[in-house]
Amino acid sequence: MAAVPQLQRQFIEYTTSLYNEGYLDDQFTQLQKLQDESNPDFVAEVVSLFFEDSEKLLNNLATAIQQKSVDYKQVDSHVHQFKGSSSSIGAQRVTNVCVHFRNYCEEKNLDGCLRCLQQLKHEYILVRNKLEALFRLEQQILQAGGSIPMME
Amino acid sequence: MASAVRRIFSNIYAAITSSERNRAARRRSSGSNVYQEEFRCYSVCVARLAIMVMLAILIGLLTLLTWHFTKVYTRTSLNSLAYGLRYELLQRPILRMWKILNSTVEIATSQVKLSEYVIRKYSKAENQAQKVELYEVMRDITWALFSSRKALNSMSIKYRNGFVQAFHRDLRDKNTYYIYSNLNNYTMVEPYSMNRSSPHQEWNDQMIHGNVSAIWYREPLDPDTGRKTGKQKEIPPDELINIAGISQVPDGAASWHVAVSKFTNSPLLSAALPVWDKDRGSIVAVVGVTTALYSVGQLMKELVEIHGGNIYLTSQEGWLLATSSSTRLLRNSSSGFTLTMAKDSEDEIIQSAAKWLNKTYHDKGPMNHKVHSATAILGQQRYYIDSFFLNLTRLPMVGVLCIPRKNIMGKVDAREIKTLIILISASVCILVVGCICIFILTNGVSKEMNLRAQLISHLDARRKAEASSNFKTQFLANMSHELRTPMAAVIGLLDILLCDDSLTNEQNATISQIRRCSTALLRLLNNILDISKVESGKLVLEEAEYDLGRELEGLVDMFSVQCKNRNVEAIIDISDDMPKVVRGDSGRVIQIFANLISNSIKFTTSGYIILRGWCENLNSFSYNENFFVDHRALWAAYQKKIKRKGLDEKKASKNDNTMILFFEVEDTGCGIDPSKWESVFESFEQADPSTTRLHGGTGLGLCIVRTLVNKMGGEIRVVKKNGAGTLMQLYLLLSTPADIPRESYQLTYAEHNLKVVLALNGRMSRAILSRWLHKLGVPIWEANEWNELTLVLQELFKPTSYEQSLMYECSEVESLSKEGVEMSIFIIVVDIGMLNISTDIWKEQLNFLDAFNRRAKFAWILNHDTSNAIKIELQRRGHLLMVNGPLYKTKMIQIIEAVIKQSNLEQQEKNIMWTDAHERLQIDSRPSRTKSSNESEITETNSTGTSQNEETNQENFTVYGVVSNCFPKLTEVHSEWDRSASFPNDNSNCEQQIRQADQKVKNGQKALEGLHILLAEDNLILQRVATIMLEQMGAKVVVVGDGVQAVEALSIQIEVENFKTSCESPSYDLILMDCQMPKMDGYEATKAIRRAEMESESHIPIVALTAHAMLSDEAQCLEVGMDAYLTKPIDCKLMVSTILSLTKCRT
Repeated sequence: MAAVPQLQRQFIEYTTSLYNEGYLDDQFTQLQKLQDESNPDFVAEVVSLFFEDSEKLLNNLATAIQQKSVDYKQVDSHVHQFKGSSSSIGAQRVTNVCVHFRNYCEEKNLDGCLRCLQQLKHEYILVRNKLEALFRLEQQILQAGGSIPMME
Repeated sequence: MASAVRRIFSNIYAAITSSERNRAARRRSSGSNVYQEEFRCYSVCVARLAIMVMLAILIGLLTLLTWHFTKVYTRTSLNSLAYGLRYELLQRPILRMWKILNSTVEIATSQVKLSEYVIRKYSKAENQAQKVELYEVMRDITWALFSSRKALNSMSIKYRNGFVQAFHRDLRDKNTYYIYSNLNNYTMVEPYSMNRSSPHQEWNDQMIHGNVSAIWYREPLDPDTGRKTGKQKEIPPDELINIAGISQVPDGAASWHVAVSKFTNSPLLSAALPVWDKDRGSIVAVVGVTTALYSVGQLMKELVEIHGGNIYLTSQEGWLLATSSSTRLLRNSSSGFTLTMAKDSEDEIIQSAAKWLNKTYHDKGPMNHKVHSATAILGQQRYYIDSFFLNLTRLPMVGVLCIPRKNIMGKVDAREIKTLIILISASVCILVVGCICIFILTNGVSKEMNLRAQLISHLDARRKAEASSNFKTQFLANMSHELRTPMAAVIGLLDILLCDDSLTNEQNATISQIRRCSTALLRLLNNILDISKVESGKLVLEEAEYDLGRELEGLVDMFSVQCKNRNVEAIIDISDDMPKVVRGDSGRVIQIFANLISNSIKFTTSGYIILRGWCENLNSFSYNENFFVDHRALWAAYQKKIKRKGLDEKKASKNDNTMILFFEVEDTGCGIDPSKWESVFESFEQADPSTTRLHGGTGLGLCIVRTLVNKMGGEIRVVKKNGAGTLMQLYLLLSTPADIPRESYQLTYAEHNLKVVLALNGRMSRAILSRWLHKLGVPIWEANEWNELTLVLQELFKPTSYEQSLMYECSEVESLSKEGVEMSIFIIVVDIGMLNISTDIWKEQLNFLDAFNRRAKFAWILNHDTSNAIKIELQRRGHLLMVNGPLYKTKMIQIIEAVIKQSNLEQQEKNIMWTDAHERLQIDSRPSRTKSSNESEITETNSTGTSQNEETNQENFTVYGVVSNCFPKLTEVHSEWDRSASFPNDNSNCEQQIRQADQKVKNGQKALEGLHILLAEDNLILQRVATIMLEQMGAKVVVVGDGVQAVEALSIQIEVENFKTSCESPSYDLILMDCQMPKMDGYEATKAIRRAEMESESHIPIVALTAHAMLSDEAQCLEVGMDAYLTKPIDCKLMVSTILSLTKCRT
């Protein structure tokens, strides 16, 4: 077990890198700020909600887009939801892909949609891994008896 | 006609080939426009040609038909007429012929009958005497018959025995002869017996002619009596006349033939009839009658004399019997006189006619049928030829009539040609005129078509241009909207940072700089948003009542800070008759003036900026020459306003009283070149592009101003100004609620015996104030600087000189002033700038003023940067009346009222000094709140705390006059945050500020304490986040998943409310509504809720949550009845401020 300061530093660096690489934005910071004594696992709760929601949406999207005649309206509404949820937790890159996706939807560009779906999946998995890693780190810190450093 | 057709065809061909060529040319060149032009031209050409051809055909047909009908009908009628005529002509000679024939036959028949009778009587003649007697009787009978018919040429009877008796008229010498043969040579009986067996055979001419021995005698007779007049002469037999013999009646029937005689030059018609002996059934004699055909020819001549032409009669074989010409009919040939054939006639016409008939009918025709021809050409002329067939037994005859055509149709033919010529020329004329007309017409049409096409293309171009402009506007709007949000966040974060204690001075300065820049950027974005809003027509002006004067004063307060820094006077001069409360969009009005003033400040380095305002009632508005109001435009705008209002709410306009508010903004800056006076109001336009570097700005401000002013029914323009600087004039049409009386400032300060000393730095403001006070009847003394002030004070309070000066200064209040110095209240208004603050001299100056403190009341005009130390010192010395600069009428009134109140108190408690702590008065030095500026301007010092508390609650008011903030105009979107950072701080230092801000933030954390919020959101994550956010703020949140549930939740609430008025159940203060939800989306839900509310007349604020972040969405949200609009992801502060503003508004 690494020492708490080291873990904390690692945590800060990791988080900063996430922000710098654009995986997350201030919305996530806001979430973290909302987490307090009354809601100790708020961030994790919301993020896991996001994971569930996202996986459902991704499945829906994949089935919707593989239809013979693609119902772009439906796809669009799925993407819209995805965009809403991803922006709410601050998964910035996912949100951005969603924006592109919606544009393609409006153009009814099937190729673009498929590409975007792939990208979306990719980004989603990426952000999921990152967040899971972050939570692991957080757990480690907590187990080591340290406190989670706040990002400003 | 043919040439015309050819020409048309050649034209069409040319058009086609040229269009082909054009097509080819088009393939080569991309300029299809040219091609289209040419094609259009050619199509017009073709159409024109087609119309012309049709016209030509039509006219031609018409001509032909007219021609045909006139010709055919006249011709047929004429023909029938002519035919009748010709028939008649022919008929008459034929009738005559008949008559002749008939009479001949009659005579012959009667001769036969008589002869039969006589011969029977004497058939038993035995002797010679009896025979002679018989012949005598016969002679007498024959004579009687012969003499009765003058037309007869001869009459003969030849007996069986060869005896001949004949009478003959010689037409040449008019003599009548009796011819008879010698009786001696004839035996009477024998032949009878001989003939009994074969009666016909022995009758032959041979017997007679061969009887050479027969002697013929001729005796001339008296034509009337028949007596012998001369001696009988012997003549050779058959010399004179044809005696009809037995041979001519071979079958015993009557026979006819044409004979020729030596004595007449006309042919003779002779008939022969046998005389039968009934008893024996044999022929006993033959009677012959000859008639000259001369009279027929005579008749023909007569007929033809009238009509012209020729008539002739021929026998079947073609022998001429009678003609209308006078040529001879008989030819003297070797064998004596013979008849001539018609074709050998000496008359050319008859000859050629006969030949023509022969040629036409090949010798066989004319005998069998009648011929009618109108086209025979005989000689050089055209003739009508008609022939008739006259069928007599043994003597068929043919009559032929030739009439020259011109005798009958001559006139008609001539007319016909003339008519044809006239018709053709007329139709050609019509054709030409018609073609010209068509040409002109089609020319006009094609021109019009061209114009129309051009117009259409222009319209197209314009539409495109407009579309692109709209697109630009839309883009700008969207962009600025999107940009504004992060900017708000940046500013908010900077404010937090500024509140941080741990910053070094340098950092602090940098962050302040960043904040200023951000605010500038935000303002720019706001401007762009405004412009685009206005341009896209989405700007809707509010209609709310507000105090215009106070707003404007607040504005000037706000800018005064900036002005002070630049050493520019900011003055507001609003006339007293200005309505206190007007109806309109206060934010926009303030925006107009803020833009104008900030513009002026930007370009003014020294001098002053004045905002003047006065008003006129529209109904009593009289034309003001100094102002530029265009009456018609004004009325139009007024009507529009009335109409609009009428649409909105009819009852409101009844009470309203529309005013024209005139304003002027004058500065002493660099001015605008007259040529740019109009263009400065264009967007992105600046009077001098080079000034952008110097002064900054985008050139949007004035554009916004103008659009706003126009929208409020007014006008703005730059007018000429005496001296340097710019003078902008504008007027607005605003209505004032009629029920609120216009507050009059006709205060009676004169009664209070006021005397005012104005010691102000600003020349203009002092002048304006003094003029105003002067008008109110308050004596004034002015001082420009410290030394002057000391002089004025010393003079005033030197009893000896006081009266003089008073008399000198204001003679009209002389009577009052005589009551003494003690009775009057002196107000000395001193600008803090009079004191020399940079050094310590100001304390001495205060010491000097202390001397007058008892006799006069000092009011201090503070600056925003006046340090606390000075304030404390002033308070310490009992100068409690302090106002923040700049000084204007309202503040002056407040000062005066405060002083009057104090002096009243003073008079009530005469012994108590007014410097007592309880009486300390200070004019609230916070100019931050416009709403409360009037009421809380003068407050007790110890009530500041409560006022602060008030302010924390009343957070939704726009804040002006932030000291540390040079760009004070922020939209309400982040005003809450802004306010928290810029909370009252006119002279407090940074630390104070920070503490207050911290406190504020803490307050803000529980800002939503006690609020019930209904959150309608389908996204679980957002639900969660929003719930936590709101709960942390202290609100109670109820979450529903879709629009239907939201509506249900509300309806339950309403029911509950209806059920029991004591509201124990949670009544929602606000709804956060996601726009996109399953089952029922936010828009629908809002509509439903609003519908439901119509009944209960309540209004729950609804805030839209949407991820769209487009203007159109916002517009839609507001349209369906939502009150505000938040974009996802939710910004906590933004949300809180929005919620607070809405809930406060409600309460």
